Amino acid sequence: MGAFQGSIAGALSSRARRLRRLGRRALLALPLLFVAGLLFVPLGQMFLWSVWERAGFWVRPGFTLAWYRTFVTGARLTVLERSLVVAAGVTVLGLLLAYPIAYFLARHVRREFSRAILLLFTVPFLVNYIIRTFSWVYLLSRTGPINRALVALGITDRAVDWLLFSDFAVCLGLLSSYMPFMIYPLWAALEGIEQPVIEASWLLGAPPPRTFFSVTLPLSMPGVFAAVTFGFVGSFGEGAVPIILGGVGYQLMGNTITSALDVLNYPLAAAMSSVVVMAMLLFLVAWYLAFDLRAVLGKIAHWRF
Amino acid sequence: MRVRRTSRAATWGYVGLALLFLYMPLLPPLGFSVTARPGDGLTLRWYRELGSNPLLVGGIENSLLVALVVGLVTPPLALLAAMAVRELGVPRLVVLVVLLPLFIPGVSLGLATAVFFRALDITPSVWTIAAVHALWALPFAFLVILAVMATFDPVYLEAAYVQGANRWRAFVDVELPMIRHGITGAGIFAVILSFNETVRTALVQGALNTVQTYIWATFLQVGLSPTLHALMSLLIVLTLALVSVLLIVTSRGAAR
Repeated sequence: MGAFQGSIAGALSSRARRLRRLGRRALLALPLLFVAGLLFVPLGQMFLWSVWERAGFWVRPGFTLAWYRTFVTGARLTVLERSLVVAAGVTVLGLLLAYPIAYFLARHVRREFSRAILLLFTVPFLVNYIIRTFSWVYLLSRTGPINRALVALGITDRAVDWLLFSDFAVCLGLLSSYMPFMIYPLWAALEGIEQPVIEASWLLGAPPPRTFFSVTLPLSMPGVFAAVTFGFVGSFGEGAVPIILGGVGYQLMGNTITSALDVLNYPLAAAMSSVVVMAMLLFLVAWYLAFDLRAVLGKIAHWRF
Repeated sequence: MRVRRTSRAATWGYVGLALLFLYMPLLPPLGFSVTARPGDGLTLRWYRELGSNPLLVGGIENSLLVALVVGLVTPPLALLAAMAVRELGVPRLVVLVVLLPLFIPGVSLGLATAVFFRALDITPSVWTIAAVHALWALPFAFLVILAVMATFDPVYLEAAYVQGANRWRAFVDVELPMIRHGITGAGIFAVILSFNETVRTALVQGALNTVQTYIWATFLQVGLSPTLHALMSLLIVLTLALVSVLLIVTSRGAAR
């Protein structure tokens, strides 16, 4: 009798426990559902719309590749080319500028100190990059401080024109917007490398450059890849910087999308936006396949997941 | 040895230059906002004019409301996400999904959500803006909380279970007090991000305005003015002040 009651109570409590477990899992899945509902579904819809037909100022279900065709045959192809070139340039430049900083902070500076410096790099990023980009218009202008300094130092005898409303200005603006984004993952990856690994390389007789190229650099690749993704996708889809610093008619993917929206051509905007997002997904899939995402989280990754 | 010292000095010089490059753009608006005309004396006129613009005042109200909602909603979501990494058994997937909003360019994210809301017949409101801001702030808040949770040793939870605490009690009484500063930090971070967002907001705001989209729209229509510089200066100062609060909160929590 007692055994019977016990087994009923056991069944009940195991059922209750299973329910509670389910409830807890549902609660934990809430943020994932939030991202799915507000990001995956809208992006899916956007992909769909990019092959739908235009009806007045709205869309109609159908299937057409016309929007992608408009995109690769018309004048917009130069926009795509320029965006690719600018984004690649900014990424490479950003990497070359950010890697030494991240390396120095992660491997040659005391931990607390390197965190403080890293913080200094993060603070300006928190101020809206559009406000910071406006400042570059003044800083780079003919009568701005940079031109005045160049003239005063005798580097040029007249103010330089190409500083503003040029590829140079756009790249500079993009660098100033996205560089903090690139330093952080690089630092996290470099910081995550255990010192004994480096020391082992020294003990085996590898000189510092060899150690760097065959140990440190390969181990920091997840960070490099994260930095490349941020730099490339960010600049590739950027809409405000080219408007502010590129001058009249300077088009990159981002502001071409918004100008398609201004004339209410939703499918075309969706098609161009899809190209940007697909480029991003390509990066992310490659990244997911090649590296453990957690490597980018640095020391956090040592926490038992 | 001397070579090493020189190269170290050169590296510091380089780091300093990079910081200068990033901080320089914070200064011009402050200068422009207090000069009446180039060469003239200082004035606070442009700051006084800010209050007399009803469009702007409405924008400020919207921004504050959105920031409040985002600051309250994002940390719990981020906390749940961070716990999901530990408990759902698919850590890589959780990390990837939660970090994804970080990788979508602003224009694409704004366009996708704007069109999504329109297809569902949801009229743009401070709520739609707040939803998009929360989506954008989630990965950052998540990383902040994850970093703090990494310093918490789950052994304390085991100890609580041994003492007979259930999961909820163990979390509230043991883990929460130790990671509370991370959650506050995540909230402040979310407020900062929300307050400084333009591109995504501009696409989902409908007829509304936030401070940032007011600046952007005014720039597109008539260009920059001393009043806008005054507004931007206030936003820069406010952001830096919030960053200081964030630092104090997180460092005080870490010291405990």
